[in-house]
Amino acid sequence: MTIETDDYRDVWVFVEQHDGTAAPVSWELLAKGRELADETDESLVALVMGDDVSDLAEEAVARGADRALLADDAVFEPYRADPYGEQFRALVEARKPSIVLIGGTHTGRDFAGRVAVPAHAGLTADCTELAVDDEGLLLASRPTFGGDAMATIKCPAHRPQMATVRAGVFDTSEPTESDVERAAAVEEVEVVVAEEDALSTVLERVVSDVVDITDADVVVAGGAGCEGEVGPIVELAEVLGGEVAASRAAVDEGWIEPARQVGQTGKTVRPHLYIAAGISGAVQHLEGMNDSDVVVAVNTDPNAAIFEHADYGIVGDLHEVLPKLTELVREQQEVAA
Amino acid sequence: MNDGWNIVVCVKQVPDADDVTIDPDTGTLNRSGAPAVLNRPDHNAVESALALRESVGGTVTAITMGPPPAKAVLQTAVGVGADGGVLLTDRAFGGSDTWPTSLALARAAAELDADVVICGEESTDSSTGQVPPGIAAHNGWSQLTYVESLDPQPEDGVLVGKRDVEGGYERVAAELPVVVAMEFGANRPRPAGLHRKIFAETEFEPVEWSASDLGIEDRVGLANSPTKVGGMDTATPVERERIRVESVDELYEYIAEVR
Ligand SMILES: Cc1cc2nc3c(=O)[nH]c(=O)nc-3n(C[C@H](O)[C@H](O)[C@H](O)COP(=O)(O)OP(=O)(O)OC[C@H]3O[C@@H](n4cnc5c(N)ncnc54)[C@H](O)[C@@H]3O)c2cc1C
Repeated sequence: MTIETDDYRDVWVFVEQHDGTAAPVSWELLAKGRELADETDESLVALVMGDDVSDLAEEAVARGADRALLADDAVFEPYRADPYGEQFRALVEARKPSIVLIGGTHTGRDFAGRVAVPAHAGLTADCTELAVDDEGLLLASRPTFGGDAMATIKCPAHRPQMATVRAGVFDTSEPTESDVERAAAVEEVEVVVAEEDALSTVLERVVSDVVDITDADVVVAGGAGCEGEVGPIVELAEVLGGEVAASRAAVDEGWIEPARQVGQTGKTVRPHLYIAAGISGAVQHLEGMNDSDVVVAVNTDPNAAIFEHADYGIVGDLHEVLPKLTELVREQQEVAA
Repeated sequence: MNDGWNIVVCVKQVPDADDVTIDPDTGTLNRSGAPAVLNRPDHNAVESALALRESVGGTVTAITMGPPPAKAVLQTAVGVGADGGVLLTDRAFGGSDTWPTSLALARAAAELDADVVICGEESTDSSTGQVPPGIAAHNGWSQLTYVESLDPQPEDGVLVGKRDVEGGYERVAAELPVVVAMEFGANRPRPAGLHRKIFAETEFEPVEWSASDLGIEDRVGLANSPTKVGGMDTATPVERERIRVESVDELYEYIAEVR
């Protein structure tokens, strides 16, 4: 199957939202999408799907999209793979975008394939770098083999060039001053999916406010070494004015909530200071913390891999080291006050 | 339904991640020294498949796509209790990215008349997580990804999955046939039974299907893979100070400095 790649143009960004609230990665992608569209001299188009979400379409325009496509219908709330995939696919086939960016969230990774497969599009998973080459071809790069290598994936003969992109790797876009023409840049599109065709039903959805650890300046992360006691982690994060995070092991044990997981299947954080306590330093974890400015490791095992990836390391029990550290920070803060 | 469900579990042979190295001169991956193992998240998939069979009845068939030695992962699955295994093997599959790979698995699942296809969350060697949704998309089936636990409701012909979502969870009822991606670590995989293991290693022979058996010989392989690796770079290693400190006071000094 050969396709006329020249028929495809524009950069699309999927604006992921749940209950009317946009996922932060949506605005990060919009900012990156703006750069790519400027380079290829194409339009940046935001795609908004949901129930009663025209305000998000307008916000996308305020944050830099040239246009927003709005698919507004009750069938899109809450999210389900098949209605989202089917609607998105229909839009892609009718309007032929060249590049499509989707957040590398559970939602984005759940339905991106439902667009890429029927479109026979190239889909690169979980990218951390995006660029375009001289011919306007998307260069989607992602860590591979546990972050030891970066693979750059291209999609020369198929369109669109799709990528899911990890949250937290790009800076977010900010809304500009209220623009009266904003609403005019929003186009409501025909909804092509119907409830009776849906293959699944959401029976229950339990979510709380999702913390965003990707913006924190200080991150204190606990791993399996916590052994169920996260108090020292929480207290140190508190005095340092930072966020608590976790390795997957601590999340799987239920000690720390999943939204705070750092790593390949969690978040990418970029703090000034990252403290890894009771974390062994598995490649999948390192992938999410490698962008930190300064890394501190606390581990009882002098041979733990994490020490190789830390600026300052101390061999010790986190249940002793962290409270002492907390105490020292507190003392200093009292002196300063 | 009295005769249970046809449960298919997709497994993959991967190089043991800890043993893959990068040649610093060429930037290419050196996998030759790495022993091949069953992709770790697939252990969770096999366990869910067996547990599902225990609750609704039916059969568990393991499938894998790969060169003939990939038979080993089918033996692993049969050793813990899968009823049978299918090996999709053919030179025509060589160089397939997720699009043709999920097509081949989708065709095989349809051929096996699957009610439920269970996969691991992602593979440790390519970690795209795209194959399960890809199988569902090729066949137009429903899907449940990032699943923590399964609750089959055979009387209604649905499989309910508790899915991990940002900030919490949701319970979703999916129509059969359905493709499931189990979350890594979602359950505790059972060990192989001794007799079953011996059977898997000595008597069990997988069914082998080629691309033409599945009628997809001109839709797989490198030529039908939309994505191409355009380059591989050793990631610029992040240079760390690696300073060992002896006391918490000393550690505090460093932290106070960087804050
Ligand atoms: C597909 C896939 C995706 C994955 N994604 C992620 C991911 O996104 N994020 C992630 O983190 N992992 C991920 N993993 C898991 C990863 O491989 C490791 O299993 C995990 O990171 C280990 O977590 P840990 O370091 O907390 O636990 P362990 O490896 O068990 O290490 C615990 C450490 O704590 C130390 N320790 C014990 N007691 C103490 C104490 N009292 N004081 C101080 N130190 C102590 C030990 O010496 C040890 O080094 C993934 C795995 C797979 C297969």
